[in-house]
Amino acid sequence: MGKIVAVHSYKGGTGKTLISLNLAVTLAKMGKKVCLMDLDFRAPSLSILLKIEKAQYWLNDYLNGSCEIDKVMIDLSLRIAEKDRFYVCPANPSIEAIRDITARDRKWEMRALGRLLFLRNALLKDRAFDYVVFDTSPGLQYSAINAIVAADIVLVATTLDSSDVEGTRMILHGLYDLFEKKAEIVLNKVTFLDSVRVGREKLQKMVKDVYSAPLLEAIPCFCEISKAEGKNIFVHEKPDHPFTKIMYEMATKIEKL
Amino acid sequence: MSSSEFLESKKPLQVLEKIKESLERLNEKMEIIIELQKHGQRDAQAIPSEAPLDVMTLLSMPDHLRKTAMAVCRMGRATAEEVAQQTKRARAVESAYLNQLVIMGYLKKERKGRKAYFYIEK
Ligand SMILES: Nc1ncnc2c1ncn2[C@@H]1O[C@H](COP(=O)(O)OP(=O)(O)OP(=O)(O)O)[C@@H](O)[C@H]1O
Ligand SMILES: [Mg+2]
Repeated sequence: MGKIVAVHSYKGGTGKTLISLNLAVTLAKMGKKVCLMDLDFRAPSLSILLKIEKAQYWLNDYLNGSCEIDKVMIDLSLRIAEKDRFYVCPANPSIEAIRDITARDRKWEMRALGRLLFLRNALLKDRAFDYVVFDTSPGLQYSAINAIVAADIVLVATTLDSSDVEGTRMILHGLYDLFEKKAEIVLNKVTFLDSVRVGREKLQKMVKDVYSAPLLEAIPCFCEISKAEGKNIFVHEKPDHPFTKIMYEMATKIEKL
Repeated sequence: MSSSEFLESKKPLQVLEKIKESLERLNEKMEIIIELQKHGQRDAQAIPSEAPLDVMTLLSMPDHLRKTAMAVCRMGRATAEEVAQQTKRARAVESAYLNQLVIMGYLKKERKGRKAYFYIEK
């Protein structure tokens, strides 16, 4: 059966959306059937990045219980020149929808968790998806914790920023461990590009020492990513870029987890 | 019919089954009494009869109960036996934890014939 991967972080802006989108597309290009979901209901990104202006149903509607998941899934396989490989479930970016989400009570969140847990049957089992990738909101928000509980693997995007390091250590033990989730560190925006490749072992040891969690991948800070302004799917537009190579390596490692 | 007549009219295996069933029920009742005592009468009253089992609640639970509650979350509806299979703990242990979660208002319990099912009220 397939796997559910949640991309989470303690702080905002660590690269969750960049990583989840490009990882999902990479897995799809490797022949896997992938569904990418935007669980960042407070600041939805996928609808904007993928230019999905109108949708009959959003992921919000599925969690509300007002439709089934098939109604939310948009087939974007052709955009990455594959067939039946890449689906997206965007979150509703309208101000009303964001306001709605913040007003939910605990009972609603409990039902939403039930519906997220149900995706294992609905997508992995019945529809033979190989991967469901969750892009989440940072920190300890309901939608993020729900995503973590429903996932098999958590990729923790983090930078070497000191405020991020402490918080990441805290959620590793105070959140992922408590739910018995396998957490893998993705060190992003690493500036000392050379040491990433040269001192891989050193980096691995450092991550192990600081987080007591394995380092899945280190991603350097690439100006080309900032320059692209999120206007394209990077790994699709730039197949020969080092970032794309790193994403393939990461996807291959995830296959083996 | 006297009890000796009853015993003679049934096959030994069926009699044993009946005894086992009665013992299981008795055991469950005792577990509930033990849990109630642990909580104390005042504690039990303070706990609402119906509390949502959301992720924040799960996070604040003691580890042993979280494991049981998570298993029910995943399965939606389960017997102590099924939960025990997931958590790899003894059935009697899970039965005690499940009943504790019922007392705390997080789970509901329903009997269907010989089996007791635990579930989350949506
Ligand atoms: N390795 C990198 N090199 C250069 N720019 C990067 C890199 N990783 C992320 N960025 C840039 O950093 C910004 C934040 O990234 P992104 O939106 O993916 O983070 P996020 O964790 O999803 O943020 P939020 O918590 O707000 O959802 C984006 O502009 C993105 O292009
Ligand atoms: Mg994001």
